[in-house]
Amino acid sequence: MASVTYDNVTKKFGDAVAVDNLNIHVDDKEFLVLVGPSGCGKTTALRCLAGLEEISDGRILIGDRVVNDVAPKDRDIAMVFQSYALYPHLSVYDNMAFGLKLRKVNKDVIKKRVEEAADILGITDLLNRKPRQLSGGQRQRVAVGRAIVREPKVFLFDEPLSNLDAKLRVQMRAEISKLHQRLETTFIYVTHDQTEAMTMATRIAVINKGKLQQLDTPQNLYDSPANLFVAGFIGSPAMNFFPAKLRKDNGRLIVDTGDFIVPIPADRSKVYASHTDKSVIFAIRPENIHDAAFLPPNIHAEKVEAKVDVTELMGNEIFLYLLSGKNTFVARVDPRSQLRVGNQTQVAFDMDKFHIFDAETEQAIR
Amino acid sequence: MATTSMKMTSMPKRGKQGFTRRALLPYMYLVPAFAVMAVITFYPLIFQVIISFTDFQTKDLLKQLASPNLHQIGLKNYIDIITGGLPVQNFEFFRVLTYNFWWAITNVAVHVPAGILIAVALNTQGLWFKRIYRAIYVLPVVVPPLVVATVWRNIFNEQYGAMNQFLTWVVHLFGSTQVIHLRWLEEYTPPIPWLLPNGPLPLAYYAMMIANFWLGWPFMTLVATGALQSIPKDLYEAASIDGASSPQQFWNITVPLIRPAMVPAAIYGFTLSFNLFNFVYFMTGGGPARSTEILVTFAYDLVRNLRLYGVAAAFAVIVFFVALVVFLITNRITRATESYAEA
Repeated sequence: MASVTYDNVTKKFGDAVAVDNLNIHVDDKEFLVLVGPSGCGKTTALRCLAGLEEISDGRILIGDRVVNDVAPKDRDIAMVFQSYALYPHLSVYDNMAFGLKLRKVNKDVIKKRVEEAADILGITDLLNRKPRQLSGGQRQRVAVGRAIVREPKVFLFDEPLSNLDAKLRVQMRAEISKLHQRLETTFIYVTHDQTEAMTMATRIAVINKGKLQQLDTPQNLYDSPANLFVAGFIGSPAMNFFPAKLRKDNGRLIVDTGDFIVPIPADRSKVYASHTDKSVIFAIRPENIHDAAFLPPNIHAEKVEAKVDVTELMGNEIFLYLLSGKNTFVARVDPRSQLRVGNQTQVAFDMDKFHIFDAETEQAIR
Repeated sequence: MATTSMKMTSMPKRGKQGFTRRALLPYMYLVPAFAVMAVITFYPLIFQVIISFTDFQTKDLLKQLASPNLHQIGLKNYIDIITGGLPVQNFEFFRVLTYNFWWAITNVAVHVPAGILIAVALNTQGLWFKRIYRAIYVLPVVVPPLVVATVWRNIFNEQYGAMNQFLTWVVHLFGSTQVIHLRWLEEYTPPIPWLLPNGPLPLAYYAMMIANFWLGWPFMTLVATGALQSIPKDLYEAASIDGASSPQQFWNITVPLIRPAMVPAAIYGFTLSFNLFNFVYFMTGGGPARSTEILVTFAYDLVRNLRLYGVAAAFAVIVFFVALVVFLITNRITRATESYAEA
């Protein structure tokens, strides 16, 4: 059991900076998810921690120990690979026992640990099989089992679910969460899938272009994204962005997108007053745009003219793809909504739940 | 697809004639290839088996099997070969057979590990000029064995050969003034008498091992390089996290994972060395005193010098079965065809 610290970590491949001055402290027993688009450096960051890549600058600590020059095998970590990396010539049992055998652990202890891990993961009846005889989900479990038996201080997961089908992915997601509760060990998990990040993490580190964008709990990331990238990355469908100007109109602060105008509630005006007459990005999540006919009670609604372009019926909700002048945006509305393609209508923006970002710096204005 | 399935469903209506024609079609495609093989492969094979039961000699060449002088002598050729009843000096079938096996096994035993080690070394990340090495090491594979044998004959020449000059230079480094005059290809007295007690291993054997090593490792390296490159990198990463040192990774991952490629290559190398006619023939001609003779060079000698066609044919049949048995056994033991690839 140990904490993990990235202290000003930089990793370069030639001139390309994969990880740029990363600072993260992961608490003991925490489930930290590194999330970001492909090629953002999250996997490199994890591989640096595993010792599979040498860092160019900074320090990595596991517990209190600086591990910059420690070999992977001596870092007391276990890693689950995206490809599972099971040894194809060994049985499931031998795959799981491999690390322990190399460490010359007593045979009975190995047997006990492998059987325990197999029991936890429900793969007891597969122990004599070879990896090629297993399904994707079963291989995934074996890969996790191989990590468990080692009883490491830190578990590393590199996109472990991305090769599974959607249904299995949801199931394994829950199982990995359960495993974390059961093992009470530090988990560091890399994924490009923000849903995985949101559902499993204690805290999420959003990374883009090698830089840490925001490190916070899933709910805080969702509710108050620090910048435009995080706002657009977390949440599905993604947050709607409208390039706009903040203006004073009759003493009220208003957002003018060029196609529609919405006034900012008086209680939030103060925060944005300094950006009057500046270019901003007005942002609002799809679920905070409502069909005016099915308005939830007690919200501060502002009506906006829009034309319905596409509808997607999901059963429990409807996604409306709307056009307002040059802006297209998505609303997630009540399933009873009667709005159909081509309808000219008014949708209601919940003005208690919007975000405004500086157009230049892309940082949230708070 | 659509047309095929339509034809399939309408097939029963066509009746028996259509069905027969359809069933024959694949065989008709095979006929040209089969005809060529029949002439150039099967006919000589069968002819050889037939004359191996006769006393076929030069006088029978004109009329072949219709020759009035040709006698069916049953298994006599085979029995003569095995019991040493042939009118040939220095010939003992089992000594040649043992030497032949030893020759093939020792060659493979050197070529395969060396090929793998060189492949592993050349596969090192960040190695400069990798492609140049890979181009160079294919060279021995493409040089004709006749040329190789001639070059190496010269290298092992007693008077002017590079090998003796090199050894002279080496002993001079240690202060000796001796000039080395090893009779590499002619000396009969074995340098290590206890090796292969069934018959002496002359100096020529070691010379040929050296030359054939030059000829043999590139192929093994070629195969091993291909196999190495198909091993996913993350297996090594997983192993390094699991605690495996480089040698442990080599034994636990590299070796088992290139095995499916190397075993067939080793068997191929074995059969190749076992029947390495042109190299042995041009290098030593089986000498000195038939001590480096292998079965195929001996069979050739039976025809070329002794004109015993029938005996040579019987000999070739024996060689064929020896090689076949060897192949079947090794293939079975090592399960050469098994791979770890996904089913």
